Amino acid sequence: MKARVLDRAAVLKIVDLLRAQGYEVIAPFRGRANDTCFDTVTGQNRNEIVLHLPNPFYPPKRFVFPPVECLLSVHRDNGNIRIEPSYNAPKRAIFGIRSCDVAGIDHLDRFYLGREHRDIYYEKRRANLFLVNLVCSDPDRDITGDCFCVCADTGPAARDHFDLQLMDLGDEFMAVAGTPAGEALFADPIFRHANEAHVAKRRDILNDVRKRFLETTSWFSATIRYISQGKVLEKTWEEIGIRCLECGGCTYVCPACTCFTVSDRQVGPNEIERVRTWDSCALDGFTRMAGGFNPRRAVHDRRNRRFFRKLAHYFIQRELSMACVGCGRCVQVCHGDIGMPSVVEMIRRATSELEKPELVNAGAGEK
Amino acid sequence: MNPSSTENVYLPKPAVLDRIVSEIPEVKTFYWHFEDPAAQLAFKRFRPGQFAEVSLFGVGEFPTSLPPSPTEDETFFTVRQVGSCTSALHHLKPGEKFAVRGPYGNGFPMEQYVGKNLVFVAGGIGLIPLRSCIVYAMNHRDQYQRIQIFHGAKTPKELMYVSNLEQWSQSPGIECHLTVDRASDGWTGNVGVVGSLFKKPGAQIPVENTVAFVCGPPIMFRFVIKDLLDMGFDEQNIVSTLERYMKCGVGKCGHCCIGMAYACLDGPVFTYRQIKNLGEDI
Repeated sequence: MKARVLDRAAVLKIVDLLRAQGYEVIAPFRGRANDTCFDTVTGQNRNEIVLHLPNPFYPPKRFVFPPVECLLSVHRDNGNIRIEPSYNAPKRAIFGIRSCDVAGIDHLDRFYLGREHRDIYYEKRRANLFLVNLVCSDPDRDITGDCFCVCADTGPAARDHFDLQLMDLGDEFMAVAGTPAGEALFADPIFRHANEAHVAKRRDILNDVRKRFLETTSWFSATIRYISQGKVLEKTWEEIGIRCLECGGCTYVCPACTCFTVSDRQVGPNEIERVRTWDSCALDGFTRMAGGFNPRRAVHDRRNRRFFRKLAHYFIQRELSMACVGCGRCVQVCHGDIGMPSVVEMIRRATSELEKPELVNAGAGEK
Repeated sequence: MNPSSTENVYLPKPAVLDRIVSEIPEVKTFYWHFEDPAAQLAFKRFRPGQFAEVSLFGVGEFPTSLPPSPTEDETFFTVRQVGSCTSALHHLKPGEKFAVRGPYGNGFPMEQYVGKNLVFVAGGIGLIPLRSCIVYAMNHRDQYQRIQIFHGAKTPKELMYVSNLEQWSQSPGIECHLTVDRASDGWTGNVGVVGSLFKKPGAQIPVENTVAFVCGPPIMFRFVIKDLLDMGFDEQNIVSTLERYMKCGVGKCGHCCIGMAYACLDGPVFTYRQIKNLGEDI
């Protein structure tokens, strides 16, 4: 991968370059209530882009997989039906996407474009998407107490799946190209060649950042093993289920959740749209069939499902990627404190208890 | 990534309803064909046990099994009126149009069963997905050994595919055993659950070299499985087909994911050994 450096003052020129190439550029901003969000860059707000801020609550997943999307337009005409797919794939760039969310999009790629069937709607949008990853290099402003990308091995610096990666070195930014499209930007005079000192500085900052993650940890490996081997007790799932309020929040803020539902809506006397909407396995109706039979009866069956889908070895192997990127959003959104790290810990503790070897009675050998 | 190379898996093709036949109360068979003859030809390559997604625009889409055998000329669905989509199909008139995509799913591996005895155990509308295999096996009669059909329903009026059952019971080399829970209308046959047929003289099921296809309501499924296991059946030689809420049929929407399997991709046909390990109600 090729690396360059550019002056701090020139970083937003990258946004201008992309906009000049016809991209709709999405970037992080601060809202009025000190919240943070991704929004489209316009001529007016271009200077308000904020590079160092807590990762916005809604992941940029919606720019490749929108919450509501029209799949088909159907026209009825004299008893005939005409069905037309409706594609909407604008040329888009996400500027300042964090490494965890880059891993989220990589997971979506593997899910929607892998296996037997490819999702053409996702594919068209993904083909027009340009990712400018920003490494989390400022422990005070970039990282919150809920981040655990170091456990999911997705950050603080993404290794690939971006077009361009930026990292703040202080007075300068380092830029790394991940694709030929990203490398093409280096033709602009704002980019200079990087030297050994830059690389060393990058390494030092990353080493420091890795140590500055707060208390949240998610020790996946033991939990993945317990879940994959079916060792987790029903009782543990029930304890997790009891704490679930069935709001579905965790799935809507998750950058790696993929489920959707499809419904038809009448948009004119003879016009119907078939629309897909994000869906959540936390909701009661997710598996309920016509006639009322629901194979997942209790709430813990559904919670079990979410964590099984994300953590069972079988599914990790299916996509060669885990459906948890360590962004910590489920931790922030969950009222019952069953975000990913809590569940991993609950399962690990409860199940490792069972695995303790039986102690030989110390008194047995004595007379 | 080359977008033009991918086909749209969510795009159904227009189909025309030809005629409707009432089977039992609330269950009708809908004969249909694709508007486009090429689509019809492509669709006809389905395997017994696969399913299709049926679109009633303005209402929605539902998955349904394919009761015809690929060896038959006509394409049709047999559907119980139970939710909004199936009701919309029931209200369709011959000549009206809807849309279909598929076939999807794994289907029954009929070629693996060549040289074996086939036992079909169907409760109520569980005969719908098994009809495909039965007709397929009859059309390849020399490839299979003994063929037994056990079908049970609540009342004689609720026996499925009555004209087919008559035809099958008269075909040489097909053993057809029927039972009802409640006798009426001059029923002279067996009364009792499907399992009660297994003990009838001449209806014994050979365990060696036999595959049992079981499909029906959950309670019937559990009892029949118990009977078969007691007889000495291997869990791998009992197969069934599961139904789940599905939106896409192609492994993306996530609704039909059971245990480690997607019912739409890895199923809907599973052996009892697989079903047992899925960890959900059947």
